[in-house]
Amino acid sequence: MGMFKTAEKLEEVLVGFFKLMADTPVIADKLLKSNLIIRFNYADPDLVVVVDASGDKLDVRPHDTDTKAIVEMSMSADIAHRFWFGMVNLTKALTRKEMVAKGPIPKVLKLLPAIKPSYAMYPQYLEANGFGEYNITKAYTPPSA
Amino acid sequence: MLPEFFEFYNPTKVVYEDGVATDLKPELDIIGIKKYFIVSDQIINDLGMIKKVADGLVEAGCEVTGQYLDVKQDARLNDVKTCADLAKTSGAEGILSIGGGSVIDTAKAANILFSEGGDLVDDYSGAHTLTRPLKPHVVIPTTAGTGSEVTMIAVIYDEENKEKLAFPDKFLLPNLAVLDPQMTISLPPKMTAATGMDALTHAVEAYVGPQASPISDAFAIGAIELIMKNLVNATRNGEDVNARGAMLIASSMAGISFTHSMCGCVHGMAHATGGLYRVPHGVANGIFLPFGMEYNFEEIKEKLARLAPVMGEDISGLSEDEAAKLAIAAVRKLSKQLNELDALPLRLRDVGVPEDGLEAIAEGAINDGTSFYNPREMDEEELLPYIQKAY
Repeated sequence: MGMFKTAEKLEEVLVGFFKLMADTPVIADKLLKSNLIIRFNYADPDLVVVVDASGDKLDVRPHDTDTKAIVEMSMSADIAHRFWFGMVNLTKALTRKEMVAKGPIPKVLKLLPAIKPSYAMYPQYLEANGFGEYNITKAYTPPSA
Repeated sequence: MLPEFFEFYNPTKVVYEDGVATDLKPELDIIGIKKYFIVSDQIINDLGMIKKVADGLVEAGCEVTGQYLDVKQDARLNDVKTCADLAKTSGAEGILSIGGGSVIDTAKAANILFSEGGDLVDDYSGAHTLTRPLKPHVVIPTTAGTGSEVTMIAVIYDEENKEKLAFPDKFLLPNLAVLDPQMTISLPPKMTAATGMDALTHAVEAYVGPQASPISDAFAIGAIELIMKNLVNATRNGEDVNARGAMLIASSMAGISFTHSMCGCVHGMAHATGGLYRVPHGVANGIFLPFGMEYNFEEIKEKLARLAPVMGEDISGLSEDEAAKLAIAAVRKLSKQLNELDALPLRLRDVGVPEDGLEAIAEGAINDGTSFYNPREMDEEELLPYIQKAY
């Protein structure tokens, strides 16, 4: 069992964070320049989220399995969670297939500097939105059942 | 300090000998197939190299089922498809590529389609998408720079969408890399210098990068020492077999190093300059390398200080800062020697870059994928003065 017990909780936490990034110009403006459509496929629990930077505004769409994505990133929910803390070594994750990336890799790498500010934002977002139990930068206490 | 994690994987067998490219029977016997499709370009063909290698294959009991000699500068997507189709219909069991980075990368990508079928972009874009070994691939490099004969990446240019596609996959590592100085003897001085500076940049950036490991460091240091001792000689006297051989070995060692620990801002600036102003990759790397080392100085000075003696500098009695600066000076000294041979430009202004284009280079470098692997966080405003100095 991963850190997130239900797909609903995972969606609440991650989609909420993606929407916060969409409203943060220092991140969103650079992502919009990429014109990428990225589908995140999470496992344990399962969730699909599309982040669409092809329009005027960053659009975050959970459960979108129809849109043809340019990039598909597949990983466990726990790896995704750790990624947004800046705790995932990307080379390690890709070579050990903890993350599977399909699509134009240079374009994905180009996005990484743009999302760097999000690593500092994520723990603050968790604390500010009642998700403090998921903040692994402080002593981790498993969420109550 | 040891890295938290690293992986080292390089199953490519490397053989080195003057003349070995025409005498590969023991190595080919171990690979076990008999039918090879040759991938190369017209220049290599015109120089008679392909015939020599093909004759050697036949003497080794193998058959050349066909050849694709139309690889252009920058491996192209359409070439990859054509090459794979020809290899398949020829009845080949494996590929032998003879050439520089474009030829080798074309052959690597063609081997995906040749072995697995499908569409390169739709089915194999991404990182490590292959699930099993491809057909055997033997590589004979004719330049000493890209190191592609020992790297797990193929970079292919999509002409239709005007973008470079990268295919990093451990199954792209060739089975055999054949380092034969005779295959680089005819490389002109300017190409020798530029490709050599490309190899040096691979080694230096891999050594100081955040993904470096003790193993990648060992390969980088070995490469740097060989390059510093031999690049000028190989450029000055192309028929110096020892210098040519040393550069081939160095290029492969640098390739092994950077395929594990990646490259940083020098490559980022070179990619941007190449894309905007068509400056050859090795030339741009050669111009930017000392400036990139200066940009990263505070983060990498400990490692630069260790590089200085490898580069032939005497650091006895010097502080870490002073020794580190000597490493940068050593690179400048090498570039100047190559420049004096009329083989390497030293400034962006000398290669057609306009002064009002420098900000675009900075922006391109920041947005390049390599910026993720640079030891210092890359900032456009902070990087620009170093590009201006390079102008």
